[in-house]
Amino acid sequence: MKRVLVTGMGGHLGTRAAQLLEQRDDVEAIVGCDFMPPRRRLRRAIFKRIEPRDRDRLVTFVTEFAPTAVVHFGVYEPAARMGLHRAQVSTEACTVAALGAAARTGMLEHIVLRSGLEVYGRGRGTPLTPDEDAPLDPTSPYGMSLLEVETTAAGIARRHDVRVASLRFAPVSGSHAPSPLGRLLRLPLVPVPAFVDPPFQLLDTEDAARAAVEALVRGAHGPYNVVGPGAASPWQAVRLGGRVPLPVSGPGWLLARRLSEVAGAPIPPHTLALMRQGLTADGGHATSALGLGAMVPTQVVLDDLFEWATVTPIARAERRVA
Amino acid sequence: MESRERGGWVGLTASVNYGIDADRVLAVDAPLQAVARRIDGRYAVDEFGGDPHLQDMVLPIALAGLRFEVEHGERIPRHGPALLVANRSFAVGSFEPAVLVAAVRRVARRRLRVFGVPELPIAGVWLHKLGSIGRRPHDVATLLRAGHLAVAPLAPTWVRSAPGDPPRGLLAATLGFPVVPLAVTPGGPLGTPFGTWRVAVGEMLAPPAGTRPGDQLAAAELAEQVRSAIRDLLEQTRAAS
Repeated sequence: MKRVLVTGMGGHLGTRAAQLLEQRDDVEAIVGCDFMPPRRRLRRAIFKRIEPRDRDRLVTFVTEFAPTAVVHFGVYEPAARMGLHRAQVSTEACTVAALGAAARTGMLEHIVLRSGLEVYGRGRGTPLTPDEDAPLDPTSPYGMSLLEVETTAAGIARRHDVRVASLRFAPVSGSHAPSPLGRLLRLPLVPVPAFVDPPFQLLDTEDAARAAVEALVRGAHGPYNVVGPGAASPWQAVRLGGRVPLPVSGPGWLLARRLSEVAGAPIPPHTLALMRQGLTADGGHATSALGLGAMVPTQVVLDDLFEWATVTPIARAERRVA
Repeated sequence: MESRERGGWVGLTASVNYGIDADRVLAVDAPLQAVARRIDGRYAVDEFGGDPHLQDMVLPIALAGLRFEVEHGERIPRHGPALLVANRSFAVGSFEPAVLVAAVRRVARRRLRVFGVPELPIAGVWLHKLGSIGRRPHDVATLLRAGHLAVAPLAPTWVRSAPGDPPRGLLAATLGFPVVPLAVTPGGPLGTPFGTWRVAVGEMLAPPAGTRPGDQLAAAELAEQVRSAIRDLLEQTRAAS
């Protein structure tokens, strides 16, 4: 019977993974922590609100629980829920404190961690569609942060004989999942590269949560690219959402980023790289090894992203009811 | 690290395609419909950067001027992955991939990805959309695992009757997938491209059973088989003309 710790349980992904774990009989206990409460109702799992940078509380919490498995979603994407610097610091602090404490209990057997395709980078000579054996050469701060997480977990795996599954997710997106790409694409006027239109892939939140649970249940070890089938391109994505593309080139991106930030959709470096250079990978290994049968295609994830329910102010709704 | 089987064909995963097949050439939109589709964004893009809808709009026009004859076109697989390897000359090198793309579209009704196209800034992305796959063997292996067709040239040569060196690195990376040798010869006077091209398709080659991607010895043996097969095809074509 597994005792599972879910870091980052407050996010959509962490909450959904906890819900899926709750349905399993082979999971004895589930606890989680994050800086914000879970997005959905949890029946069996116990949540504790802990700021990732509060090392002492986090270590005490993990040590008292003594997990046999950790699902590590305490990996924060810049501009999703926090800024670039805070995301990097929180990711590093949460990874070191939670995984380190779990390993020191001597009970830990398995780690499933969230990583991303950004670890491959987009430098010259990088494969267009890397598989898990491709060299890791991140070119964005988020990619570097993910690489540090993977490296930390790999170190723990060597010292403590623990299995580590690194799930390299395509950008996780959906109508309710906060992501910088989602916010950018939902602007009425979306900056897009003027002269290129590279492909990128997305991943549905449900598929990401399912992949994490399957990796845990199957005792997966090693890296896995988890991507939605098919791809989309920036110009196409903008038009699918009925938005207006604004061609931008060179230094124009400086102004576009500033204006986009003012409009409530900051563009962090990894999202800018996705728009200008694309982001795809070979997800065949994860699909077969983790039994991820019917995954949500990238363009359906995009459709879902644009099906954002129109916000109705409460006052107007009350007037309509009256 | 778990060992992973990478030689197998995992097939195409289901994705939204709006009626446009990323591998097969099907019916083409009328011009106005095609433009409307581009504006709406309702077309398929694949993870290799290919844009089949754009290919269907551009390639029939761009390749319309090429005239060619295909011998043994039935040897080009109608489904599943295969690596086509063709000769290439310095003199007319840029025409040969175009002739092969057109030939495969007409004979097998499939899309062909061209390996070895230089990755230029800006132009590279658009060439990918039209079917190039860059210069990294790794990407071709991924493409074949997804069940597509790719063509790779031998090293270019000035001698029209002699094939150049086979792409051993690519053959090693894609070992396990069928390899089809092809000979492409221009039909114009003095070997110029302004005539009817001849494309001869050879028998499918396969490495010894049980070989895995990365097996350098098996790749070297297969490379020699490919070179020999293309040399024979070139001699047969020359004797027939």
